[in-house]
Amino acid sequence: MKTRIPESVNCIDIHNHVSAGADGRLDRARAEALLDGSARLGIQRLCVSLPLTHEQPTPDEVRRANDVVLEAMAFSDRFIGFCFLNPGYAREAVAEMERCIRQGGMRGAKLYHQYFICDPAQTAVMEAAADMGVPVLMHAGKVMDNTTRRLQPRLSHAGHFVRACRMFPRTTLIQGHIGGGGDWEWNLRELEVRPGSYLDISGSVVDAGIVARTVATLGADHVLFATDGVLEEGVGKLFAAGLSDADLAKVCQHNAERILGLRRA
Amino acid sequence: MFDINTAIGHWPFRRIPNQSAAELRRHLESHGITGAAAAHTAGLFYKNCHDANLELAEAIAAHDDFFVGVATLNPCYAAWERDLEACVKGLGFRALRMVPQYHDYSLSDAPALALVRAAAALDIPVLIPGRVVDTRQRHWLDVERMQSLQDILAVCRAVPAARIVVTELPVTAGALSTPAGQPVCGNLYVETSRQVSCYGQVMAKVVRLLGADHVLFGSGAPFKEVEPSLLKVYHADLDAEARCRVCGSAARALLGLS
Repeated sequence: MKTRIPESVNCIDIHNHVSAGADGRLDRARAEALLDGSARLGIQRLCVSLPLTHEQPTPDEVRRANDVVLEAMAFSDRFIGFCFLNPGYAREAVAEMERCIRQGGMRGAKLYHQYFICDPAQTAVMEAAADMGVPVLMHAGKVMDNTTRRLQPRLSHAGHFVRACRMFPRTTLIQGHIGGGGDWEWNLRELEVRPGSYLDISGSVVDAGIVARTVATLGADHVLFATDGVLEEGVGKLFAAGLSDADLAKVCQHNAERILGLRRA
Repeated sequence: MFDINTAIGHWPFRRIPNQSAAELRRHLESHGITGAAAAHTAGLFYKNCHDANLELAEAIAAHDDFFVGVATLNPCYAAWERDLEACVKGLGFRALRMVPQYHDYSLSDAPALALVRAAAALDIPVLIPGRVVDTRQRHWLDVERMQSLQDILAVCRAVPAARIVVTELPVTAGALSTPAGQPVCGNLYVETSRQVSCYGQVMAKVVRLLGADHVLFGSGAPFKEVEPSLLKVYHADLDAEARCRVCGSAARALLGLS
């Protein structure tokens, strides 16, 4: 039985989160627990963000969330920061990217469901990400239940990503959590056209065959290992896919390193 | 290892591998699992769901050294009392599964509690899944409703003689504790496939609260991959004896298997 990702693979979790405590600062106990749990499973580095899920987070709220991520990066060099943004405040969002990415050392941008990924409102953020050479990771899913549809009416699915790839060809897009809840088969059927975006495997859904089918659809070059905080699910479904050593290294390490290394000095 | 949470039979909304008893057995054995409790998926959908129990008995007959049958019954359908007795005394099943979200009743309804009492009288545990699949990916003809932990705890309190196994539902020690730090219900058992383990050792804390005899390894196969559940148990901070119980001896004892 495989119990951890081999040490020879410098595994990066491209989609994870840190949280704030009651004082608004990094919850260090949870951060420590996340690092410990990840280490047990052979996850060496974790891309973390702190997205705000309400309708229109203000620039001040966004800055406070990103400050927690900057604190996490200082807490452990295993944390790689992703900068949460609300594209509805375009000018402030680009300034926040300047603060967090160019000055603060974060390596990616994180979007939630405030706008669809293919909404023209995303243009400023997408162009800035391309200029800075960082990927944009977005919370995504093709949800089928009325509760989530009501709560997240602008949740992007693969069809939106296919359109966004045409709208923003210079930007590296990562569709979040194929196992994050939703009709993942629908998403994979849409992505058979291989639009050029990346897809991460995170989420609590561990349906039989989910990762094997994801890799078969997109190719190992466009699939990224991730957990989104559900650690055994992420590693377990990866193992279940029975990938070759070469594909495992691509999914867990090389693809992420390539994307994260896009950042200019 | 013994798996308390498996199923055989066709699932109409997605192609799922290893649906037959022989395939599922091979699949589980390839992961080191030496026995399993299995319900029949058709029991979710047949109006007269006892027919699914008869199909289950036929399907696992050649694997009685591996599978233990789990009856699926609807307390609002005719003749469930006779069907329950037939499942236990005739077919040799050792557990009951109740799925109110598929059979359109509430756990607090009088017929539901009557079925739980009848299972207790026959000394078999009752499995109650929080869900069968993630409802966010539901087929448009599938149900959206889930069972809450609170509803299941209410059954535990209403029928203290029953042994209730909650499957497919994550829990925390905090949610299962009294203010004094004791288990809220002594007759509750928890299946592992959706529990959090490595991140904060949540499952190990549940084991410490409820006792290792009350936490049962389950995979959710063939719907779900087996590996995540194996990792949860492997990486839980448990001593050897507790791990042994969680991995199978507790479930075997619960089901009356030697």
